[in-house]
Amino acid sequence: MRRQIIKEREDWKSQAEALGFNFHSMYGAAYWFEAACYQFTLRQIEDDIEDPCNELEQMCFEIVDQAIKKEEMLIKLSIPESFWDYIRNSWMQKEKNLYGRFDFSYNGKSPAKLLEYNADTPTALYESAVFQWIWLEQAIEANIIPSGCDQFNSLHERLVEAFKNFGINSKLHLTSCKGFEEDEATVRYLEECAIQAGIETNFIYLEDIGQDDAGALVDLDDEDISTLFKLYPWEWLVKDEFSTGVRNTEIQVIEPAWKMILSNKGLLALLWDNFENHPNLLPAFFTQDPRAADFTKGYVKKPLFSREGANVEIFSCDGLRDAVGGPYGEEGYIIQALEPLPVFQSNHTVVGAWMVASQASGLCLREDDTPITKDTSRFVPHVILD
Amino acid sequence: MKRTRILKLSIMSASALTLIACERSQEVGVFESLEQCSNQSVFSKEECSKSERLARSEHIRVSPKYSSVTDCERDFGVDKCEMAPQRTTAGGSVFMPMMMGYMMGSMLSGGRGMMPQPLYRSMDDVRNFRTGDNQKVSSKTGITRVSKGLTRTPSTKTRTIRRGGFGAAARSVGARFSTAGKFRRFGGFRSFGG
Repeated sequence: MRRQIIKEREDWKSQAEALGFNFHSMYGAAYWFEAACYQFTLRQIEDDIEDPCNELEQMCFEIVDQAIKKEEMLIKLSIPESFWDYIRNSWMQKEKNLYGRFDFSYNGKSPAKLLEYNADTPTALYESAVFQWIWLEQAIEANIIPSGCDQFNSLHERLVEAFKNFGINSKLHLTSCKGFEEDEATVRYLEECAIQAGIETNFIYLEDIGQDDAGALVDLDDEDISTLFKLYPWEWLVKDEFSTGVRNTEIQVIEPAWKMILSNKGLLALLWDNFENHPNLLPAFFTQDPRAADFTKGYVKKPLFSREGANVEIFSCDGLRDAVGGPYGEEGYIIQALEPLPVFQSNHTVVGAWMVASQASGLCLREDDTPITKDTSRFVPHVILD
Repeated sequence: MKRTRILKLSIMSASALTLIACERSQEVGVFESLEQCSNQSVFSKEECSKSERLARSEHIRVSPKYSSVTDCERDFGVDKCEMAPQRTTAGGSVFMPMMMGYMMGSMLSGGRGMMPQPLYRSMDDVRNFRTGDNQKVSSKTGITRVSKGLTRTPSTKTRTIRRGGFGAAARSVGARFSTAGKFRRFGGFRSFGG
């Protein structure tokens, strides 16, 4: 794994805009960054990322299987009791899942360490699946990178395939919140995948979804919503007034409700508890666990539910504290051993590995000038070259 | 799709009415048209036309509603649907089956209080007239006896829809978090490796 400085395509901005990838630059800085790329060997991708991802996914399933049977686990995860049966049913009925992203600290040498699992609402999908692939083809064409370059990226075909396997025979509704440009772009891309899978679709903003007097959810044509893809956290949805329209009706939701167990940071503690010393796991404990007290430095404190890294506190090995404010944390925290991100030419890089229908299907690399990956961190393409 | 929902609703109201329905039946008139009603002797011409008029206005309220004409025709047959005066929340058209007849109360059995109501014929059972609540009435026209439950006024079929019950957390988090006046995503990307 190394970082190569390369030439940018001259017209990438206009290409991005033509494709509707409007957030290629953020707050005056490039979000899509192609003046560099990360190079992996095939062995690194297959042995260090792909295989561990598939193994971790199976370990996660084992956690879900345990959690639905043990109330104390659901309590630890702060999942509201009114949704326990609903989550159990979604798992027992084997409701299919679409996608997720494991985030790792990986330096190309030692085992990738799981930082967290974005199992419910991951974004950055479009740039991973499409723009990164277009870059690869054009960069080879323009002799920016060697012609033997490949990429870990079967996202698009896997997504289309996954939609086909959902067996959706009525309309698929897709939703995200108003004013969240990047979420909408991700949803619009998934809509495109569904269309290519032969599914009839309808995008609706979350705020526009209606509920009739019998409790059913309807779109703006007052048509029933029978299958809903939502880019909206489950832990928020369960608190919304219309959540009854999900819990008490036959509606199929993607991601399914059992993903609530996996998108919770408590998962990291449950994984460590069950698979202690697994090479891809970091020690992690719920704060109420006596073992959490053994950490005096070199750890990260994360809320069970947190988006965009809010309310996370880092206590580095030399005792310094770094924190990000925010509204989360009332449900509880976990403590995870600190595994600093590797640094490449002064860039701190996180490796995201995509799962589609529970199969490892692609990579996305993000780098930042600081040790903390933020929503403004740069998205940098990658290649496989031996 | 829509039809299934209406069936579900009518099953609910039917079971609530079962107790009454078992006990009593009522004599009613079932007619395909005003002309057919006028050609019998039980009801006067005046009663016939007044009931037909009332049934026709009830038709708008109680008929099954669809947002696509195809869905309506699937349940009631090709060219058996018309546009309803209602609109969907988004301003789209609403369709309903045509009224195929009406049912009116008989003075003789004290049915004065019965509200005349429209009748329909659905594709899966074209022989029988059905109420707006999808209850089977009769395959014959003329004076007949039906269970008292069928003479109840059918429910309104325009769905009452409330909106805005999703996204509360997004609004509060968005408000507290937004620095540049624009919030990009919930789909977390920040990862803390150190």
